[in-house]
Amino acid sequence: MKNIADHLFDIFENSVNANADMVIIKISFSERIFHCSITDNGIGITGEEVLDPFVTSRKTRKVGLGLPLLKKAAEDTGGYLKIKKTNQMGGTSLEFEIDMSHIDAKPFGDLPQTFADIYFAWPNIDLKLYIIKNSKQEKVLDFYTMREKENRGLSNFIKTRRKIVSIMHEEMKNLNIIE
Amino acid sequence: MKNLEELKMMREKVKKDLQLRAGGHRVKIVVGMGSCGIAAGARETMNEFLDLIEKSKKTDIIVTASGCFGFCAQEPMIHVYVEDKKPVTYRNVDKEAAQEIFNSHILNGKIVEKYLFSKGKK
Repeated sequence: MKNIADHLFDIFENSVNANADMVIIKISFSERIFHCSITDNGIGITGEEVLDPFVTSRKTRKVGLGLPLLKKAAEDTGGYLKIKKTNQMGGTSLEFEIDMSHIDAKPFGDLPQTFADIYFAWPNIDLKLYIIKNSKQEKVLDFYTMREKENRGLSNFIKTRRKIVSIMHEEMKNLNIIE
Repeated sequence: MKNLEELKMMREKVKKDLQLRAGGHRVKIVVGMGSCGIAAGARETMNEFLDLIEKSKKTDIIVTASGCFGFCAQEPMIHVYVEDKKPVTYRNVDKEAAQEIFNSHILNGKIVEKYLFSKGKK
């Protein structure tokens, strides 16, 4: 994984594999600290054993590297990664923090494109993205309404793709993630 | 919209419609997006396909993702499902390979041997 965008995409797939159909991502970036939480309504985990690289629910291989790699990337910068079962949605909640001013911090990568990729890669998942700035929370993306719009013929995949990238580009600029 | 039940019903309906729409395609490209695929650049591959579809103005081709195919060393890998034909799997599909596969296999039905992994198996 070269950047945080790759990591995000990768751990998003965990939610997909856990049969989630709704995922809520919240991100914030202030004083060079990138904070992100991901909550899904999938089958959930039993404990923190998923952070062990030699534990996986998949049957093709005996190792699972997605989460341990992200944990390492976060901890290398003095940040952290926490994962737990949620009570409200019955799924998993994950939270990580990366200090972007640290010399070992990976670059952000193309975050706007990543969200467009998620939209197309998993057409059955509703993602809601919130950005937290100055302790105010704002909903930026809602895949459910976008899909509905496409479904009614009011939009198509080309338009939706451009829209996600342009919305995200603007938001990332506001957060100073993109210059 | 009045209550949660109604909302749930609406959701189910839209989901069904979406599946119907997703079912009306001639070609389906599935990109392996496990940790291994992503690390090998599968997102670039997927984006290249989306770009190519956009450029070709075809509406009967869709791109989706799946998990790890189980051959991590040969990622990025893709399955190509053409209607009424057996699925074809390609390996090491970078941007260049994606262009070749798109122009040759997806538009003209000619399999690209150079990147071929297997034929007819899922």
